[in-house]
Amino acid sequence: MSGSITVEKISKWYRKYHAGRPETLKEALLSGLRRMQPAEQFWALQEVSFTVPSGRMLGVVGANGAGKSTLLRLVGGVGFPDRGSIRVQGRIGALLDLGAGFHPDLTGRENVFINGIISGLTRREVAERLDEIIAFSELEAFIDNPLRTYSTGMQMRLAFAVAAHIDPEVLLVDEVLAVGDLAFQRKCLDRIAQFKRSGCTILLVSHDTSTIKNLCDEALWLRRGQVAAHGPTEVVVGAYVAEMSAETRRRTPEAQPAILTPSGTELRMNQNRFGSQEISLNEVRLLSKHGFAVKELESGEALRVEIDYTASQPVSEPIFGVAITRPDDLVCYDSSNQTALKLGVLQGQGQVAVTFERLDLIGGPYFIDVGVYEREWTYAYDYHWHVYPLEIAHTRGEKGVARPPTRWEIKSL
Amino acid sequence: MNLSRFFARRRLVYLRDLLREMVGRDMKLRYKRSLLGVAWSLLNPLAQMLVFTFVFQRLVRLDIANYSSFVFIGVLVWNWFQASLVVATGAINDNRELVKRPGFPVALLPVISVTTYLVHFLLAMPILLVFLLAGGGRLGWSFLLLPAIILLQYLLTIGLGYFLAAINVRFRDVQHLLGVALMLLFYLTPIFYDTTIVPEKYRFVYLLNPMVHLIQAYRAVLIQASLPNGLPLSLLALFTLCLLGLGYTLFKRASVRFVEEL
Repeated sequence: MSGSITVEKISKWYRKYHAGRPETLKEALLSGLRRMQPAEQFWALQEVSFTVPSGRMLGVVGANGAGKSTLLRLVGGVGFPDRGSIRVQGRIGALLDLGAGFHPDLTGRENVFINGIISGLTRREVAERLDEIIAFSELEAFIDNPLRTYSTGMQMRLAFAVAAHIDPEVLLVDEVLAVGDLAFQRKCLDRIAQFKRSGCTILLVSHDTSTIKNLCDEALWLRRGQVAAHGPTEVVVGAYVAEMSAETRRRTPEAQPAILTPSGTELRMNQNRFGSQEISLNEVRLLSKHGFAVKELESGEALRVEIDYTASQPVSEPIFGVAITRPDDLVCYDSSNQTALKLGVLQGQGQVAVTFERLDLIGGPYFIDVGVYEREWTYAYDYHWHVYPLEIAHTRGEKGVARPPTRWEIKSL
Repeated sequence: MNLSRFFARRRLVYLRDLLREMVGRDMKLRYKRSLLGVAWSLLNPLAQMLVFTFVFQRLVRLDIANYSSFVFIGVLVWNWFQASLVVATGAINDNRELVKRPGFPVALLPVISVTTYLVHFLLAMPILLVFLLAGGGRLGWSFLLLPAIILLQYLLTIGLGYFLAAINVRFRDVQHLLGVALMLLFYLTPIFYDTTIVPEKYRFVYLLNPMVHLIQAYRAVLIQASLPNGLPLSLLALFTLCLLGLGYTLFKRASVRFVEEL
């Protein structure tokens, strides 16, 4: 019961065709088969080599379009590399495209059966595991209803329950797992960790670096189809994150003079301000619950952060992030509008505000770091780092960061 | 070495199970939420048979003994051929998510289509036997050849299916062309008439249609209780094997590109 993956110098062309590439036989004949050739080719993957020994877990990071998913599919045997070879030993299981083959008119039970077989189990194996799968999905009460009566969340749960019972030796995981609610995501991650403990060899693709840091033994960083780094997770992920922020710096216009914000802080490009400025943050105000500008609060008080922005061009679904950090760079809390508020397309001037109902922080100096990012987090439009200080009034006799409302009691028994 | 035998065996069991479940799924889906259920797969050929019998026994009089059974065989055999080819041709395009799934045996998709309609064909067999016996026919030893003829048609259709499915991924209009071709071929196949009325000078070209020989073989063993014509069937079997090998190879080679084309 041990699988392994060996990838040796694989390369894969990505072919881009003419917009007018014939779609039908007639067009192909009329254009004399001339336009059948790709207009442009580039390497989707180039000379990628790595091995994942039995029982290890490799995480693949990289920006969108770096070739992560292509790599995963090739390892899964979908398509072939143009050069190089891939050897996979052991039964492959895949946590991607959950629910392929699901049909709304069939019952949950029937769908489990078919999906299990599509995932690589024989009928007997599915039959043996059927009760376990249904129990895992927690859908016993609905299992004989047609799938179309299920909510999306229920369907995902059922699909994952099947995928979780294929006991693969080699597991391929794509970031499609990032769908579904938080509880579901946690269940997925728990299950992946369990696979790992049982000796499964895992290849995980994600651009969520924290997942990779938490789970993987090693990381591989793909940049435009090439291996940029491969090694210990901390090192590789660190290098990747550093380059992503360097990417932000590269896009940061150099020539802008220092600006004094209306609240009196000096903003200097590439020192405490980074970003491509497609959206710029003109002013950030820290307000108390009464609406007054503040630089100091009592622990447990409310804080409202108002951000005035200007979008010089239409920008779709940017992400606004507000983080509370300490001077020593510890991130106490990091929050974005991504799950809370849809922004749509922004253009012109506007304001985004976030209210923290209680700042239960221990006394001391903090910064409110504010940023606005590209919709996939690939780079920052504007990021103000350690520009807005906030002092939490001294709290006595406590250590740490968080300061939850606390009550001590004593009684004799 | 025993281990590799075990895995090969498991693979076969797996492919069989997958085929069975996918065919079962198609059958279930077709008749879910329908009042008559499986009866639908019988009603269609029965209706066709009634119309043909009316037209060619009452309006245009064809002198063919046991005409209802005669035409019913033609309709059943043809429907199986036509429906499987149409569905097999679209098999790759219509199952994108399966094709993109690691470990899914894509080459099974055309087989699934052809097998689904084989099941429909077999379900209609008892009705056909009732007609045959009611028409005063009796079954001879040649009836035992029926499975071999069915197998031949099965493999022929799969071979063609591989070809068409592979090309259709690139050129979507193969599906439309196929529709036209099948409609024309329907008239060039002895479904509602007998080959005896085909003039000698066209006969050679006419006999190039493999379905002519298949339908005649079915009629020989079912109606005439005689052995089918051996030579054309042997040639057809040889042709089928070549076609199957060639079609499968083409399909396999094209399948490297399926994911990119979809």
